[in-house]
Amino acid sequence: MNTGIVFSIEEFSVYDGPGIRTTVFLKGCPMRCNWCHNPEGLEARIQVVKSPNGCLHCGACEAVCEHKDGCIACGKCIAVCPRNLIRFSGTRYTVPELTERLLKNADYLRQAGGGVTFSGGECLMQADFLMEMAASLKGKVHIAIQTCGYAPTEKFLKVLSVVDYVMYDLKVMDRALAVRYTGCDNRLILENFQKLSESGVPFVVRVPLIPGVTDTVENLSEIAERVQQSAALGVELLPYNKMAGSKYALIGKAYDPLFDEKREPNIDTAIFCEKGIAVKVM
Amino acid sequence: MDERVQKIYQRLQKREYRSLHNKELAELSEACKSTQDLALRSAKRLTELVQAERAILFPEDRIGMMRTVKNVPQLLCDKEKEKYHANHFVFDGAQVCNISSDYEGALREGFDGKRARIRAEMKKYSEGSTQYNQLKAMDLAVDAILLLAEKYRAEAERMGNTHLLEALSNVPAHSPRSYYEALVMMRLINFTLWLNGNKHNTLGRFDVYMYPYFQSDIARGTLTRADALALTQEFFIDLNFDADLYPGVQQGDNGQSLVLGGVDPDGCEVWNELSELCLDASLSLNLIDPKINIRVSGKTPYEVYYRGTLLTKQGLGFPQYSNDDVVIPALVDLGYELRDARNYVVAACWEFIIPGVAYDIPNVDALNYPQVVLDTLKDELLSCETFEALMRRVKAEIGKTCAELAGRTKNIFVEPSPFQSVIMTDCIAQAKDIAYGAKYNNYGFHGAGLSTAADSLAAVRKLVYDDGSVSAEQLLAALDADFKGYDDVRAKCLAAPKMGNNDDYVDGIAVELTDCFADSLSGLKNDRGGIFRAGTGSAMYYIWYSEHLGATPDGRHAGDPFSANYSPSLNVKFDGVLSVIHSFTKPHLGRVCNGGPLTLEFHDTLFRNDEGTRKVARLVQLFVENGGHQLQLNAINRDTLLDAQKHPEDHKNLIVRVWGWSGYFNELDLEYQNHIIKRLEFMS
Repeated sequence: MNTGIVFSIEEFSVYDGPGIRTTVFLKGCPMRCNWCHNPEGLEARIQVVKSPNGCLHCGACEAVCEHKDGCIACGKCIAVCPRNLIRFSGTRYTVPELTERLLKNADYLRQAGGGVTFSGGECLMQADFLMEMAASLKGKVHIAIQTCGYAPTEKFLKVLSVVDYVMYDLKVMDRALAVRYTGCDNRLILENFQKLSESGVPFVVRVPLIPGVTDTVENLSEIAERVQQSAALGVELLPYNKMAGSKYALIGKAYDPLFDEKREPNIDTAIFCEKGIAVKVM
Repeated sequence: MDERVQKIYQRLQKREYRSLHNKELAELSEACKSTQDLALRSAKRLTELVQAERAILFPEDRIGMMRTVKNVPQLLCDKEKEKYHANHFVFDGAQVCNISSDYEGALREGFDGKRARIRAEMKKYSEGSTQYNQLKAMDLAVDAILLLAEKYRAEAERMGNTHLLEALSNVPAHSPRSYYEALVMMRLINFTLWLNGNKHNTLGRFDVYMYPYFQSDIARGTLTRADALALTQEFFIDLNFDADLYPGVQQGDNGQSLVLGGVDPDGCEVWNELSELCLDASLSLNLIDPKINIRVSGKTPYEVYYRGTLLTKQGLGFPQYSNDDVVIPALVDLGYELRDARNYVVAACWEFIIPGVAYDIPNVDALNYPQVVLDTLKDELLSCETFEALMRRVKAEIGKTCAELAGRTKNIFVEPSPFQSVIMTDCIAQAKDIAYGAKYNNYGFHGAGLSTAADSLAAVRKLVYDDGSVSAEQLLAALDADFKGYDDVRAKCLAAPKMGNNDDYVDGIAVELTDCFADSLSGLKNDRGGIFRAGTGSAMYYIWYSEHLGATPDGRHAGDPFSANYSPSLNVKFDGVLSVIHSFTKPHLGRVCNGGPLTLEFHDTLFRNDEGTRKVARLVQLFVENGGHQLQLNAINRDTLLDAQKHPEDHKNLIVRVWGWSGYFNELDLEYQNHIIKRLEFMS
């Protein structure tokens, strides 16, 4: 049986699909979007993270560390921090454990027309676990995924066959820019998008609005065109989150946006409306 | 807001008007002070206060009115006070407070009508008898409000304010002829109650008693919705003008609650256009008063929750919801007539009371659950072989404590309050001041620190009895040391199950504790013929009780606060709000229905678009559909609060919910500010 690594479970999430939902954040992502606001989700492995706020610099954590040249997440430092600033990021769950956790409020989720959403990171990075989770939850609660679509098509299609709803990201349409800003070529994403559109699974397209990167007229027009030709229910625009950089210190990295993060994003709904596409700003 | 109302609003926001609260009534006259009969003395005090008042109107006022005399001199001289307080149980300064008036009756009858009835009753009693004096005092109180009205009438005439002049030549002597006149009359009544020294003056079922006046104006075509909104806004603003003079534990704790919705005496839903108008008015104002409460039930349409949530989104900490499906049967079980139960309102914060006919004291004292648990552990843990045995000891101790609390309420002394009596339903006919009781004279106890107690017992159960990972001796030693040197024990305590995660292991303990609280009060009578009600509120006891309590087995340090009201503890990270609602709807809430809401804090970004707002509304509805009794939600941003502590000057109008009321953040004591910030850290 597969186990999964989860870095957060959010109850009462209201922006991750229809109705009231519980969202599971699976750890690990193949992309490296420059604006990522959830850097905890990037690495697939369990990590030790340390909040710098309130650190006394007492040195207790360093004193016990036996792996200074490469953290193996042994957790020795967690126990010694006098201010409880260090913790594991990522919890390993078996399918029955996570199922139980997600179904404990299933009655409310059903009453409110909601369900469970698998997000990340990138949930397709743990596709086998995801498949088993979906099988375990099937018929008990509505299942959605939120994905960037960067995964082997075969795996993607398998996952599509077991979920009820998809939120699919289209970020950067120009290939070179996609590589520059997301670390990935976008051809696979666009191919999988086509498969999604043919699958019959209801889906919406999500677009993060990053100033000067994804919110340009060219990029949005191209997305609109793709969406219009697809079976998408609509588009959800996610304006850039100015707090995006706030969690980088936690994983000991610096946030380094390649765009002007002070500029307000261009929230251009007209491009979509003109094409008769239902559009929402989240 | 139209231009006129905008002017009034700005005047309030600038707070400069406060310099007009400029008169100190140093002393009452000798004639007043030497009046032996306290009801008569109280009425004379009111008269002297009204005489000292100077009517102030601004050109834009259609209702207006604000206090100029800033203090209400005490009724008893120090010697008397000492005597009464030594020989009696005295609650909340011995003033009549925290009840709900019969506004419907007052508006219907008018004060001329009241006076005629008082005088007819007086004829039945011999001059100088207790009843005669109490009626005479009520007669004087009627004169006082009429004098106050006359002062404002004269000022309106002098200023050429024809609207108010015309209104005041009819009300409050006679029943209002319009919605506008009804508002003017309500303003006078509210003003007079505060001047009379009453505290926590609730506004009751505004959309019920005002509706006939509103509806008849609309039907006649003499009032547009826009006019009605402007007048309602003005009335609401006016309720804030004297807020700095209102007594309370903290500023804002003044009890001006207003209830919307619910059912009529036959059980039919009353939600109407005026209910919606009140929500709109409150939404447009962003003020702490009046504090909006909505009565809902399984039948309430989603749209009502949605409108309510738009108000929540403003971040004022209201509306608060109460569930008729739970509350009405609970009140009937406690002995209230069905008709009265259906008419319930909330007191200053959230306790359920009946307008007009009740002098319940729903906040007479509070059970300190964690104290009971801690005392029992210290005395009995070592001798209890099983957890069940320990629970039996805890329950016995709750029973003992409840009996003690009940015993302390004997022989209460309350200062007579003739004006309040005039606007209760039966005081005139019974020739009895409200201070001596009404149809219902029940006392209520809050239940403070429930989650701390349940979490503590769950930790004991897990560590000492189930796992054996901490010995009883070790735990007691760790508690005695406030966990100093016992970090490992504390870590285990913190990791034990906590109420709020939808875990029966601990939630079941909370069910037992609340049932036990209800059982312990069941059958007890107070010395006014009333009963005792168990509740889930905390009021300020979450601070007061916790300050002096040692460390608890849930991992709480000595002196750390409990959660406010009926909520998860502060020191834990929770699975989320759905789990919290599950946990907190497990207790038999109809049995502990004195009042006290589940309190949920939401980050304000949850409301950033309409979809989020709609889903929060659905969540509230889920709470009600699943048997929750009472709920208050706050939309706050922790960063904003932290910034307000550093730069209060930038956040003058920042409003937060405290326990059962909303106040300006800057005007709260630091410990209350910090508690609000702390409780935000662990909620989604």
